[in-house]
Amino acid sequence: MIILHKLGWFFRLYWKRYAIAFAALLMISCLTMVPPWITGQVVDAIANDTLTYERLLNEIMLLLGIGIVVYGLRVLWRRQLYGASFQLAALMRGKIYDHLTLMAPGFFQRHHTGDLMARATNDVTAIEMSAGEAILALFDGVLTGMIVLILMVVLVSWKLTLLALLPWPLMGYFMWRFGHQMHDTFSEAQRQFSLLNDKTQENISGIRLIKAFGQQPQMVHAYRAVTDDVSAANLAVAKVEAKYDPVIFLTVGTSFLLAVGGGAFWIHQGELTIGELTTFTMYLTFLIWPMFAYGWTLNLLERGSAAHKRIDELLQSRAEIRDDGTRERVESTHIDAHIKRFCYPGSELDTLHNIDFQVTPGSTFGIVGHTGSGKSTLIQLLLRIQQSDASEILLDHHEISDYRLETLRAQFGLVAQDPFLFSVTIAENIALGCPQASLDEIRRAAQLACIDDDIQNFPEQYDTLVGERGITLSGGQKQRIAIARALLIDPPILIFDDALSAVDVKTEQRILAQLKQQRRGRTNIIVCHRLSAVIDADEIVVLRHGTIEARGRHAQLLKHGDWYAQMFQYQQIEAAVAHGE
Amino acid sequence: MVNNEKSRTPFRRLIGYALHDRRLLYQALVLLVIATAADVAGPLLIKHFLDDYVVPGNWQMEAIPGGHPVIWLGVAYLFFMLVAAGTNYLQAIRLNVIAQASVQKIREQVFAKVIRLPLSHFDHTPTGSMVSRITNDTESIKELYVNVVGSFIQNMMRILGVIIAMAILDWQLMIICLLFVPVVAIVMWLYQRLSAPLFHKARALLSDINARLHESIQGMKVVQLSGQQHRFRHNFTRLTEDHYRARRRNAHLDAWLLRPFVDLLQKLVLAGLLFTFGYQSLDHPVEIGVIYAFVAYLGRFAEPLIEITQRLNLYQQAIVAGERVFELLDTEIVTERCDDNAHITQGKIEFDHIHFSYDGKQQVINDISLTIPAGKFHAIVGHTGSGKSTLTQLLLRFYTPQQGTILIDDQPLNAFSETELRRAVGIVQQDPFIFNSSVRDNITLGQMINDKPIDDAIIIKAAQQAGLHAHVERLPQGYETMLDERGSNLSTGQRQLLALARALVHRPQILILDEATANIDSHTEAKIQQALQKLHGKITLLVIAHRLSTIEKADEIMVLHQGEIIQRGSHTALLNKAGIYQHLYRMQAMGMEDE
Repeated sequence: MIILHKLGWFFRLYWKRYAIAFAALLMISCLTMVPPWITGQVVDAIANDTLTYERLLNEIMLLLGIGIVVYGLRVLWRRQLYGASFQLAALMRGKIYDHLTLMAPGFFQRHHTGDLMARATNDVTAIEMSAGEAILALFDGVLTGMIVLILMVVLVSWKLTLLALLPWPLMGYFMWRFGHQMHDTFSEAQRQFSLLNDKTQENISGIRLIKAFGQQPQMVHAYRAVTDDVSAANLAVAKVEAKYDPVIFLTVGTSFLLAVGGGAFWIHQGELTIGELTTFTMYLTFLIWPMFAYGWTLNLLERGSAAHKRIDELLQSRAEIRDDGTRERVESTHIDAHIKRFCYPGSELDTLHNIDFQVTPGSTFGIVGHTGSGKSTLIQLLLRIQQSDASEILLDHHEISDYRLETLRAQFGLVAQDPFLFSVTIAENIALGCPQASLDEIRRAAQLACIDDDIQNFPEQYDTLVGERGITLSGGQKQRIAIARALLIDPPILIFDDALSAVDVKTEQRILAQLKQQRRGRTNIIVCHRLSAVIDADEIVVLRHGTIEARGRHAQLLKHGDWYAQMFQYQQIEAAVAHGE
Repeated sequence: MVNNEKSRTPFRRLIGYALHDRRLLYQALVLLVIATAADVAGPLLIKHFLDDYVVPGNWQMEAIPGGHPVIWLGVAYLFFMLVAAGTNYLQAIRLNVIAQASVQKIREQVFAKVIRLPLSHFDHTPTGSMVSRITNDTESIKELYVNVVGSFIQNMMRILGVIIAMAILDWQLMIICLLFVPVVAIVMWLYQRLSAPLFHKARALLSDINARLHESIQGMKVVQLSGQQHRFRHNFTRLTEDHYRARRRNAHLDAWLLRPFVDLLQKLVLAGLLFTFGYQSLDHPVEIGVIYAFVAYLGRFAEPLIEITQRLNLYQQAIVAGERVFELLDTEIVTERCDDNAHITQGKIEFDHIHFSYDGKQQVINDISLTIPAGKFHAIVGHTGSGKSTLTQLLLRFYTPQQGTILIDDQPLNAFSETELRRAVGIVQQDPFIFNSSVRDNITLGQMINDKPIDDAIIIKAAQQAGLHAHVERLPQGYETMLDERGSNLSTGQRQLLALARALVHRPQILILDEATANIDSHTEAKIQQALQKLHGKITLLVIAHRLSTIEKADEIMVLHQGEIIQRGSHTALLNKAGIYQHLYRMQAMGMEDE
């Protein structure tokens, strides 16, 4: 029942649909009571020999009219009610998606993709059932039950009603009991299915190990044990389910027997007519559905509540990076960073400490160091993907958290080392941040990133699909597409986060040369492992173990003869070896 | 035979699984017939009661010896009810057993198939989609057995029973009711035709929603950084709206053609019946009991038809799921003919002019030839992407080279049975997979030797060889200590030692270490070095390492560059030659390269 309360906002939003559906259901409930009554009338008229042709025709016409009206009403409520519940599913999915777009990377590390997906699919379906089927069963069941009872008492006989309903409380008890058993067995079946899913996932993920150790027969054997459990759990559900029918059947049968027996007696006494008895037994069958609905509703609402809780949990999680800055204008791209210390949540170790630097507008700033030295973390702090209380990062002399996130991030164009491409066309991938760009603009950016030639060779050039349904790109091609993506936006500050690692040296130099021309007067931050990318930088900082070890221009750093110089030397050798051999 | 199987429709193939246990099926059918007969008998008895006793007012209770027939009618009615309830329950359970067994069989078959697919298949198919076929699709198939076939048979029986009962009462009226059947059949056919495309569309859209969601979760950072949240939200909403509309159209079709329609038909037939009775009664008297019985039967007649139409939706889902599952089951696996008598006894490895490419475009291994004599320790080094790991994958027969042959003990790799190859070639990988199980099971992986669990002595020996035994001894329950999935109660190094023990427990002739020392501390690395020293000379060792200290003692080191061997020799020999090895070594010695 809690679920109905929780979904109050939705019912209020779509109250018209529900009102129409309820009105239709109410009318149907009333109208379906008429045919048995007509039948009874006709039967009595036949029995008493009072039936005339005109009367017969009138009754039949009434019956047909009701049939057609009820048909229309049944179609109507289905459209309204199911339409509304489908709408709820679409809304919930949208809500979840919107929420996900607000979450920072930490959130996606805590929640596995599979789990998030399950919530957006299975749980949404369960809630949808609560707003559709369950509401129907609840409303229609209660309504039909009440109307039938009233009619039985008013139109036929309260004594006969009482007699016929004697076995029903017993059925109610059994339904309640089965409901409990159902809940337990069903939960177990769901759990087992989940295990089956896990096991299958584990086996497919570990397929290399399984194959390397020739484990297929063992795994198939072990898998059989899991499927055995799943079958057993499902069979337990089926066994409970199989009890419903006989109980309903016996109750209804006994009810009939009592009704006909008692009815016969009262007919004999002259208190009842044979037609009334026919009407009565027809009404009796109408009570089966409300009894069913009672168990069914409880089951659906229970499942809906559980699902809603899981989704709510997701929607309640707060974004770690709050978008509560108000500043919307950035005049200059001057960056002034003072990072006292930063460590990732849940970690004791400082990833960065005592880092101070400035980037003047229009300059090229280099950050070098080996993997794990904190280069990428530094970039994440600049973009407020991560944040630290013990740091002060100023953009245009204001704390970056004073800006709206959108404003802040619009200043930067980041090319990550392992760029993510979406399974859309190459053109759409390049135009990610600038969807209105023309094909010419896209091509221009691709040329600057030295990827245009590659794209021309693809089967459908810029319209080639990327990913599972399209072509697979090499790491270098992906990086260059990501570079084109950033160049198309032409951001005030361009950041290459080791973005040329998979590109060969010659292409790297070509891209850098084009960049130098193209981005004259704008700021570039180049993070790299390969030092050839920062030779022309205005300032280079060398990061080691999370702090700045050295800084200066390329020529200055070479002179000191420390890490930077050695690294540069070996990279020169490496390049020579790679070409020489 | 096999082709025959594939040419059958998914429905017939699915039904084939249910025919597996014919005895159970026959039992279920017989019970179903009894239940239906007993169910149908009830109204007949009541009709008898009304016509013979109630209407004529025939109530001389005391005159008849052996009890009044009315009492016997009541008893018979109760008896039939009990029989119907009991047999119904028993047949439902039997049908469910058949359904579960069928689904289980399909699941096991698909799983067994998937696990035998070549690795290249896994490179191209996302894990999620494969898992979904094994679990979700088979789950949809379950509905076919439980809710479609069973209910179809049951309802058909009921309809048949009702028709027979009606015919006994009045065959002319029966004909009126029978008109119902072709109309419903036509509507069902129409529904099938109209709903199939809508249904496929809704399913395809749902699949798109899932794919989009999955991709967005993966690439959320990119979306956020490029400030495209609004556009992505908008696109997603459009997708869910499309899905909503497709489903709404589906629901409309359901509403117009399914339950409400059959309900309308039922009213038409009721009207027809009443009219016929009424019309007849104008000329000559009719039996009131017959009217009662017909009205009662009409309900029993319509209900099964309504149920059948309600299940059509599930039927469609199951068939689509079945198609997907069979597509996977029918994937051809090319199996090489192997010789069960081919054994690996020495461990000599030979690569003869091997060429290999994963995608047929980019050459990963370019004309490599090498020989490793039995019992020798050979190592391969090279930059990332030089093809080192590919070589081991080829040796493990995960992929087949496009050109050239690989020989073990002078016999081609394909000659060995799967069991023999896996027993004789052990491997330790970079990131060992730890199962949710005890240390012992993680070492043996549940394998048997000669159908008996692996002996403790062998396990301990392997653990000792791997330098793991002392660690295990210190664990609270020794070899019975439970490990969790990501192995968090073992350090990275210990996990690697466990992987080594795992490889050694089968006493392989060849041991491959594929970057096994990449992520571990120098203490553990030293242990692995010791283990390798002890094994040196006893079995053939092929070690791929980024960390050169691991392989200093190797008999021969091969330097791989862009799929070719460009340097080979012992550690000292290579160190004294200018080239990649010397360069790599010096970089590492100075702590410049990432280890």
